[in-house]
Amino acid sequence: MLQIRALAALAACCAAGVALAQQAPAEEPGWAKGRPKTDTAMKMAPVPAFPIPTAADQLPTKKFKLPPGFKVETWASGVLDAREIREGPKGTIVVSTLFVGNKVYAFPPGKREPKVIIDKMPMAAGIAFDSKGNLYVATNTKIYRYDNAEDKLDNLGEGKVIYDKLPGGNDHSWKFLRIKDDKLYFPIGAPCNICDPGQYAKIYRMNLDGTGVETLAQGVRNTVGFDFDPKTGDLWFTDNGRDWFSEELPNDELNHLDMKKLGQHFGYPYCHQGNIPDPEFGWGKSCDDYVKPAALLGPHAGSLGLKFYTGKMFPAKYQGAMFIAIHGPWNRTKKYNGVYVAWPDGKGGAKVEPFMTGFVENNNYLGRPVDFHVMKDGSLLVSDDHAGAIYRISYGGK
Amino acid sequence: MRSIGSATAASDAFAHRHRILAAAGALAALLLTGSAADAQSTGARSTSKAAAKTAAKASQPAGAASAGAAKAEYAQRFASLCAACHGANGRSDMPGTPALAGQHGFYAITQLFLFREGRRDNPAMTAVAKTLTDNDLRGFSDFIDTLPPVPPPAPPTPTDAARMARGQALAQQHKCLFCHGSDLAGGQQVPRIGGQREDYVRDALRGFKTGKRPGYTQAMTEAVSQVPLEDLDTLAYYAARFTPPAGK
Repeated sequence: MLQIRALAALAACCAAGVALAQQAPAEEPGWAKGRPKTDTAMKMAPVPAFPIPTAADQLPTKKFKLPPGFKVETWASGVLDAREIREGPKGTIVVSTLFVGNKVYAFPPGKREPKVIIDKMPMAAGIAFDSKGNLYVATNTKIYRYDNAEDKLDNLGEGKVIYDKLPGGNDHSWKFLRIKDDKLYFPIGAPCNICDPGQYAKIYRMNLDGTGVETLAQGVRNTVGFDFDPKTGDLWFTDNGRDWFSEELPNDELNHLDMKKLGQHFGYPYCHQGNIPDPEFGWGKSCDDYVKPAALLGPHAGSLGLKFYTGKMFPAKYQGAMFIAIHGPWNRTKKYNGVYVAWPDGKGGAKVEPFMTGFVENNNYLGRPVDFHVMKDGSLLVSDDHAGAIYRISYGGK
Repeated sequence: MRSIGSATAASDAFAHRHRILAAAGALAALLLTGSAADAQSTGARSTSKAAAKTAAKASQPAGAASAGAAKAEYAQRFASLCAACHGANGRSDMPGTPALAGQHGFYAITQLFLFREGRRDNPAMTAVAKTLTDNDLRGFSDFIDTLPPVPPPAPPTPTDAARMARGQALAQQHKCLFCHGSDLAGGQQVPRIGGQREDYVRDALRGFKTGKRPGYTQAMTEAVSQVPLEDLDTLAYYAARFTPPAGK
């Protein structure tokens, strides 16, 4: 991982060299690389979350549509910039933030008021508990561990830095974390829309003390959601497709990583959605040389959180299914988003269906789903960073 | 994207659009010069603002009456709390004090938020913002969103054409127009900078470069990181004296 910084420095140095040689314009922002120079596209820049949570009585909760028998309620409001949701062994729900909040919140068991346990920490997006109740928090530069966090909600103290060699930066540098069998899984996203990513655009894992970093998958542009299939142990992950190719292409990908074949390449920046060679980086490459997506999730979908349903409350057809948060596009004229559900087909593919919709009204977002947590009673929590809320989905009917 | 308009009546939005066009220069002149693209883009921006407000109205059944009351309340509070420095119409002669006229509500609320959080360093604004509730942030920024642009007063010295040309080239080179638009009018979370006070823009750009001023996102910090200070000052000179294309 030390190499990442070296490579980043090298890349920066070379890029600067090229720019100087050409007397050329400064680099475009990473997100703008490949953007067409049309009036419509030029008005589309990444839109940050709103700085104020939607008031409880203005939340879109009543507008959501779900399959028969399911109901959704507001579990918590006033949770500015709510992103990842995790639960400690003692039942504390912890929620992270990304660009706006700079905070991590906790909801002690039975409580619905967010309690700020970490403040003034930019990009405190990646969170995970280990089996002992230690909380891991990853920014874009460091990973911290807070021992026995649930016992110290009033004064969490300084975390112990277990890893400080994340490359930082802006584009796709924030983290999504999972812990399984005492390994911490995290991505390093591409530092741009489309570029040669070097040691970026990979999924890694490490021991819980920050040692033993291994590469699990490469060619992954930006995953902000992954989980392990409880049946097979394989890793399923969402991946955000490149921008500015066209309104309708490429799709975001749902991918399946066979844990017996670590190190496979999923295509970025050479091939998108399994069958579109990149117009710049795809020359001389074949899409058949990369792992194909298990399913497509829609153009510029902003597919984020992914969680296998491991509860007992939902009907049998949802056992073994995974829920996927589609945050919704910023650089597509027509907006869409929602909570989707996907079923592995046993052959590496998956079937995907919308599950909860109603977040969009008059082409404006009323809410944008980010991540999930399966509660002990089998209900499903959904975070919404746009409205600053957490919803709870339960099943009661036939 | 969420509209932050709290149910401004469509007719207000239309009037606002009308004022924008009037302020930007005669609509007739636009058509006569055959600058269809400019006309279209100005129209599209205003229309989308109007559409967003209509949408907000539809999504908030509270009704036009209470929205009107809220607007009146924040108009009154703006007059008593903000106008002394920022001007009754959103533009003043006070050094370092930005014009709010023509500024976008989304941008305004992000800055009020940064002041309230203590992230953006300005004791006067933080003192004010600390007293504001979430509803206040929304109410003030919705009101600011309704203020039409006010052209800057004539500069004290003749405009240096060579420096303006240099500023225009720098704005192209450093991708300012990527987010602020070719009319420097911004939109949503991106501020209008055309016609903004030069001292304010200069301090803002220098602040982004030195890290003294945090943005709501990393965009400006990244954008100016490689730009020399003297070029930032030229950009401020250019933006402050910029005349929208439609006014030519």
